[in-house]
Amino acid sequence: MKILYPWLKEFVDLAVPPAELGARLSLAGLPLDSLEETTAGPVLDFEVTNNRPDCLGHYGVAREAAALFRLPLKPLVPLLKESSEKASKLIRVEIESPDLCARYTARIIHGVTVQPSPLWLRERLTAIGQSSINNVVDIANYVMFELGQPMHAFDLGRIAENRIIVRRARPSEKLRTIDGIERVLRKDACVIADAASARAIGGVMGGAYSEINFDTRDILLESAWFDPISVRRTAKELGLRTEASFRFERGADLQMVELASRRTAQLIKDLAGGQVLRGVVDVFPAPKKAAEIEFTRREWLRVMGADVPDAEVEAILAALGFEPKRSRSRGAGPEDATWKCKQPSWRRDVKREIDLVEEVARLYGYDKFPPRLPPARLPATRLPHAQAEDRLRERLIALGYQEIVSITLVDPELDDLFRLDGVQPALLSNPLAQDASRMRTNGVLSMVQALEWNINHAQQDLRLFEIGKRYELRDGGAFEAPILTLGATGLARVKSLHDNERPFDFADLRGNLDALGDLAGSWNCHAGGPSWLAAGRAATVALNHAPSEAVGNAGQLARDTMERFKLRQPVYVTELQLLPLLAAIGTTQAARRFESWPRFPAVERDFSLTLPDGAAFGAVADAVRTLGIAEITRIDPMDMFRSASIGEGRYSLLLRITFQSAEATLTEAQLSEFSDRIVGALETKFGASLRSR
Amino acid sequence: MASIIEKTAVPLSQLGIDSKEGANELFQELRQQFELDRHTQSDGESLRIKWLGRKNGILPRISENWLKQAPPELKSTTGMCFNILADEISGIIKLYLLIDDTWDINPSKFTSEQLEAYLAEKQMAREAAERDATRNQVDLSLPGVPRTIGTTHIIRQTISEIERIFLAIGFSVAEGPEIENTYFNFEALNIPEHHPARDDMDTFYIRGGTGPYPLLLRTHTSPVQIRTMQKQQPPVRIIVPGKVYRRDHPDATHGFMFHQVEGLAVDTDITFCDFKGVAEYFVREFLGPHVKTRLRPSYFQFTEPSAEVDGSCIFCKSAGCRICKFTGWIELFGAGMVDPAVYGFVNYDAQKLSGFAFGMGIDRLAMMKYGIDEVPRLFQNDVRFLRQFP
Repeated sequence: MKILYPWLKEFVDLAVPPAELGARLSLAGLPLDSLEETTAGPVLDFEVTNNRPDCLGHYGVAREAAALFRLPLKPLVPLLKESSEKASKLIRVEIESPDLCARYTARIIHGVTVQPSPLWLRERLTAIGQSSINNVVDIANYVMFELGQPMHAFDLGRIAENRIIVRRARPSEKLRTIDGIERVLRKDACVIADAASARAIGGVMGGAYSEINFDTRDILLESAWFDPISVRRTAKELGLRTEASFRFERGADLQMVELASRRTAQLIKDLAGGQVLRGVVDVFPAPKKAAEIEFTRREWLRVMGADVPDAEVEAILAALGFEPKRSRSRGAGPEDATWKCKQPSWRRDVKREIDLVEEVARLYGYDKFPPRLPPARLPATRLPHAQAEDRLRERLIALGYQEIVSITLVDPELDDLFRLDGVQPALLSNPLAQDASRMRTNGVLSMVQALEWNINHAQQDLRLFEIGKRYELRDGGAFEAPILTLGATGLARVKSLHDNERPFDFADLRGNLDALGDLAGSWNCHAGGPSWLAAGRAATVALNHAPSEAVGNAGQLARDTMERFKLRQPVYVTELQLLPLLAAIGTTQAARRFESWPRFPAVERDFSLTLPDGAAFGAVADAVRTLGIAEITRIDPMDMFRSASIGEGRYSLLLRITFQSAEATLTEAQLSEFSDRIVGALETKFGASLRSR
Repeated sequence: MASIIEKTAVPLSQLGIDSKEGANELFQELRQQFELDRHTQSDGESLRIKWLGRKNGILPRISENWLKQAPPELKSTTGMCFNILADEISGIIKLYLLIDDTWDINPSKFTSEQLEAYLAEKQMAREAAERDATRNQVDLSLPGVPRTIGTTHIIRQTISEIERIFLAIGFSVAEGPEIENTYFNFEALNIPEHHPARDDMDTFYIRGGTGPYPLLLRTHTSPVQIRTMQKQQPPVRIIVPGKVYRRDHPDATHGFMFHQVEGLAVDTDITFCDFKGVAEYFVREFLGPHVKTRLRPSYFQFTEPSAEVDGSCIFCKSAGCRICKFTGWIELFGAGMVDPAVYGFVNYDAQKLSGFAFGMGIDRLAMMKYGIDEVPRLFQNDVRFLRQFP
């Protein structure tokens, strides 16, 4: 709301310069946005919060300033010279829908000369960012910016039968508004009609047919009070936000309706000539008495926690128009002090005691309250899995992964590349852009996009992770699940003085996963994964605790998916459900106990085997373990290769088995016996043969 | 017969020594005593105090009692004997003191010649090591083996810091869904349908919900206030970090997704002064002990009285700059006392309870604190950005 400083001073005799006024009002609830000089004087632009439509006019801001500086506010007593002819004889007003329009006043001005506005009026309107139309329209606007009451002037000659009917719009009723657009009115819109048809949308905009033009001689001046919700819905549906609708939807002042009309009529008479007919046609079906609100020191203390002097309470409430009256205390103590207040018509937002508390507090000054820290009442707790998440994050960082945070609104077409069957995505009904119109159903897309962004910005060696969420709809409701996503590409080790470079490979991914698995009681991996992972380079991952329930998948991105993102280097992605993982980290940690190690030396034995292609290392190790030799502590693959000498369909595996006993140093005889059993089992099971021992 | 040590306390005359031979014998006895001492005593410093100590050492005592008071005819003999003995003893003690520093052999087990040889060898080894060290000095100007260490995202770091600050004063961490419905996001926060306050938060709606309230992306973390109070009776002290969404066209200072931390404290005795104390505490902890706090009246549907919390401008130290629009203050977050109407939605007794709530934009706070210039940088995930905040 732009406030012209000299205009404001017509209502309150301010001594402070505009900048200081702005700064002080900012600390009382009217934040200053900017201050600029205009030909009409300094203009202060205040951000008026939704609850304060009374400050959408100069007079309301003057009241705030008067209350703040404890200056008198000049009363509004517009004098009007009227002719002897009575307005009520000429015009009839009916309100058919009092729920949409609580009060409607009409004044008649005969014989005006519509012409451009005088310079002072044009300058003032320009200063507050309004354009000038003609004197009559400008005056109505001027008074709106002065008193906060929107008004509309009709060309009386165009009001059929001199009747005003305030009613609901008829089904698919149309009206061409003054901006020249023909609008179809919604069913419950409030229209101002004459005997023939709708002439204005109540509280939003007038119609073109009856608007003031330079030939207009007689005027019907409307000043009314329209229902906030109705105005808001109409304006919103028509996409038509006007200065009038802005004020009505926040709630105008029922008492200002007539006063503003009087002030406008007088200004029209002064600037456009003509005769103001006697009286006002004022249809006000249900005037209400001002509500009474109590202000008690007890409640003040309960909410604010520090006292305020009686004199301050009274001065502030009086200056704001609440007419405080100290009532007989119910109790004896000073806490029982009570003031009975009246709700002013311009403060629809103040209905309850707490509203009065805020009024007193903001003008008394928030700076006057001493700070204090409230005592803690309960032990503070973090989220249930916070500690497990910390451990996971620490480990990821130790493994060299950088955490990312992605925008969760994604392109549905790309999201579908990584969407699992049966997942129903959550789509926006009013997206800003197609490529951000769905809540992601997975974290892989975001990860691939982060890798893509970096590769396209010449950063090729990447290890990224995200702890975030995936979203979907289930049974008509929203479902969100936390996920961990990993992405890796480029070099696992860069070239340096000390090392050669080495690309990130599946084994690196596996090693990283195992390092995470250590926290959670290790993984159970199966070959195979979703469509976006390359066949033969994908794993489905489950926790060892629950090997049948997959918690995610890991592997190398499939070629067609890579092409989709124009990726030219191998990319490894992993997505894991976070909650089962964190739960497993928690239980694994809780179950950890110290284990001593044997005093007797460990012995390593290498077995150089040739095996048929189908016999995987894991199966070989399992076969060795099932022998039940308690002394086996480790089974490691030390070398794997193929060569012509081994022959087609077979490969060579160098297996290192470590033996250690808790009871005694192992003897050569024991070791030979173990070796024979191992070789025998592998020969039987896989047709393994020993190349050498 | 008194011991040789006792004999040093008296002049020669009193010991009945009147010949060179007698004097020689005494010194011989002293020499034996010293050998005995040094074989039972490996600590050079104790030996030094006993034999050479200025106050009560044996040699100074001899000089005092025997030499100075020697009859003229014995003076030259005793002087010569004394000098020889003193040289021997102080030489050995010096070796002992050298060995004291290294403590790698027990000197009392060796003869003085062996000790001499040992020390010489030692000195040579030391010199050789010094020569080697110069030759093998690592080049400290060369980089080491590079190791990639991961990083935590700056938003996560900021959330952790805010959590730490509030955990310390008894606030627990809570969370809630990002896909909300209009009841929790608006209605129960005293923002009825058709209220202009809904304009302040342009909202993304989600298609396909079948519940009584339309689904949306939460526009603030405040719905978790309601969810928490529905589940829990006071005292309540929570903070709620999380993602929120506004239908704002993205630019350098806005994104349609950002992070907020909600705070809520409800109890039988929470006042505006408590709120002010918590606001000041947070600002000091987060931005620094010199940053001042200012509360300005404001308006939110679900708080009353409401306030904007400003911090003194950290960029110009309140002198006035472009960032603080020359006011010396920067708006940090919105807050206020919980509006009693909100308690009505969660069956709390508004007559007995009071509380405060706040909601702050984490991204904005982090950008301010770390001088990040544009919102999009936060979520582009460019590693050149990520590694700046290890």
